[in-house]
Amino acid sequence: MITRRPPSRAQIRRERMQAAANFPLDWLEERSGLVGGIRYFLFRKVPSDTNWMQTLGSATLTAFIVQAVTGVILAMYYKPTPEAAYSSIQNITDHVTMGWLVRGMHKWGASVFIILMFLHMGRVFLFGSYKYPRELNWIVGVLLLAMGMLEGFTGYLLPWDQTAYWASVVGINLNGTAPFLGPFLAQFLRGGQEIGADTLTHFYSLHMLVIPGAIGGLIALHLYLIIRLGVTSPPWSKEAAGEVPVDGVPRELRAGLTRAGDGDGRGNGGPA
Amino acid sequence: MATAGKPRPIDERRAQFQRYKEDVKKRGKPFYPFAMFHDTVMSLVVVSVIVGLATIWKWTSFGPHHDGLHQGLLGPEYTAPADPGTTSFVPRPDWYFYFLFYLLRIFKWPDTVFLGTVGIPNVLLVLLLVLPFIDVRRERRLSRRPVAVVAAVLTVLSMAVLTWKGATAKEALASEVINSVPSWIKAEKLPAAAVPGAKLFAVSGCTACHTYMGTGSSALGAPDLTNIGTRHLGITFQINHLKCPSCVNPGSPMPKFASLGDARLRQLAIFLEDSKGPR
Ligand code: HEC
Ligand code: HEM
Repeated sequence: MITRRPPSRAQIRRERMQAAANFPLDWLEERSGLVGGIRYFLFRKVPSDTNWMQTLGSATLTAFIVQAVTGVILAMYYKPTPEAAYSSIQNITDHVTMGWLVRGMHKWGASVFIILMFLHMGRVFLFGSYKYPRELNWIVGVLLLAMGMLEGFTGYLLPWDQTAYWASVVGINLNGTAPFLGPFLAQFLRGGQEIGADTLTHFYSLHMLVIPGAIGGLIALHLYLIIRLGVTSPPWSKEAAGEVPVDGVPRELRAGLTRAGDGDGRGNGGPA
Repeated sequence: MATAGKPRPIDERRAQFQRYKEDVKKRGKPFYPFAMFHDTVMSLVVVSVIVGLATIWKWTSFGPHHDGLHQGLLGPEYTAPADPGTTSFVPRPDWYFYFLFYLLRIFKWPDTVFLGTVGIPNVLLVLLLVLPFIDVRRERRLSRRPVAVVAAVLTVLSMAVLTWKGATAKEALASEVINSVPSWIKAEKLPAAAVPGAKLFAVSGCTACHTYMGTGSSALGAPDLTNIGTRHLGITFQINHLKCPSCVNPGSPMPKFASLGDARLRQLAIFLEDSKGPR
């Protein structure tokens, strides 16, 4: 005979506490499914043999976030007019509390971001990770690279010092030499006939709204595809996920075997 | 299995990806905490490097007058304020454009400069975009991808060399044009009064659009100026045109050069009016 003792007071209290603590999460989950989504993101399986080189993508993301945060702070002090731009940059660098750090991080972070993008792209190339079914994510990546370089180009003018000004004059002129679209592009970037107030505001708007917006959207797409398709095992891995079971023997039984004629017994490194 | 014809490549690829997903499900590790730990460590390194660079930049560029113009280990915090009137400044892009910057010096005006400005960069971009459709083999191991390896090594090497050359290049495009000035003076028998204007012309970006004795690239339909003087437009016209091209020649895409200042515009005008072609 099963006797059911009524729950003790302590038990009831604990249950209520738990329910109260979970309430916000449950509330959110019921209305958005976000909790489940985040849980899926965090606890999804990735190949067991991922490599340090595969942290370069998230490192790039971190660099982008650094740029976004420091950029927002800079925008609070920066003034995009030919008269005020230079002195506002001086003010940020020399007077605003920690302004030198914010500007320094933004300036050097830009280079780090670009370097990391190239390194990450190199890793994807070496791993052959652009192959089926990840072709689309490679294309998204190339667009990110192009956008990143454009972000650098538009940001370079903003301090409105000699280096900035003359590099942009030449850059815009070079755009202008492209056939067909070039002159229109140059005209648009310049915001008129000469490099001046309108050029600065055009570059500013591109640099802090248009291009970062595009990069943010592309990163979201990039990450969606990564989560959907999974990341690849290093091609040299002995236990590369997705390896063709050449001999039909389940992998578990095959581990450590080297077959004559099959070469080196390493993973054949299929596209996965 | 002689009867079952060769499987189509796409089916093989699909089967392989299916296998990949099953493998990962069965033998994979959860992203959190394993992969995420590595990602976090790497991200901390990245942030530290950025903060480190910012700090070195700031703390080595304290000049005697405590202004940002002082050249620290990583360069000055800012250069002098922009001055559209100076013409002697060497424009230099940020380092990741050095390879383009140098490409433009390899290709000589006027015929092949197009290759450097749009040709090669666009071809590279398109090649990069379509790479997954060029390299459709399933093989991922480097030892079995000789073409990919050679292509990668060549690309990295040439980018590195171009970037290095760009970084160490002494002059920019405009100041390269100035080397041609003595030959202009000789060929066109320019009077001494026209020489300052010739130099200005060489460094003021005019040759981005105009050609002069074969130097420069013609863009936006800008005319060759080798013998512009034979049209006898007159000093006043030249100055007014330079100040505001579209006011004088409606629809002109030529930029305004009013910022050069009257004195320099006059020098330019004198040079233009004295340019009567090789004599
Ligand atoms: C962005 C391109 C560009 C640049 C840079 C440029 N020009 Fe021009 N220039 C043009 C175009 C296009 C025309 C034809 C339309 C016109 O006449 O205004 C032109 C015309 C001229 C003419 C002939 C005017 C006429 O009525 O026939 C002269 C002279 C001239 N430019 C001088 C200069 C000088 C000097 C500079 C440098 C200070 C310069 N240009 C820079 C594009 C340019
Ligand atoms: C803003 C820039 C970028 C960000 C934030 C970013 C982020 C990421 C992240 C977090 C990953 C997960 C795996 C890893 O870290 O290696 C990844 C994978 C990938 N990235 Fe990027 N990336 C960027 C740019 C690029 C570029 C320039 C390319 C190539 C042209 C690219 C192509 C790819 C591909 C194909 C994958 C899948 C790799 C695999 O499955 O193994 N990405 N990216």
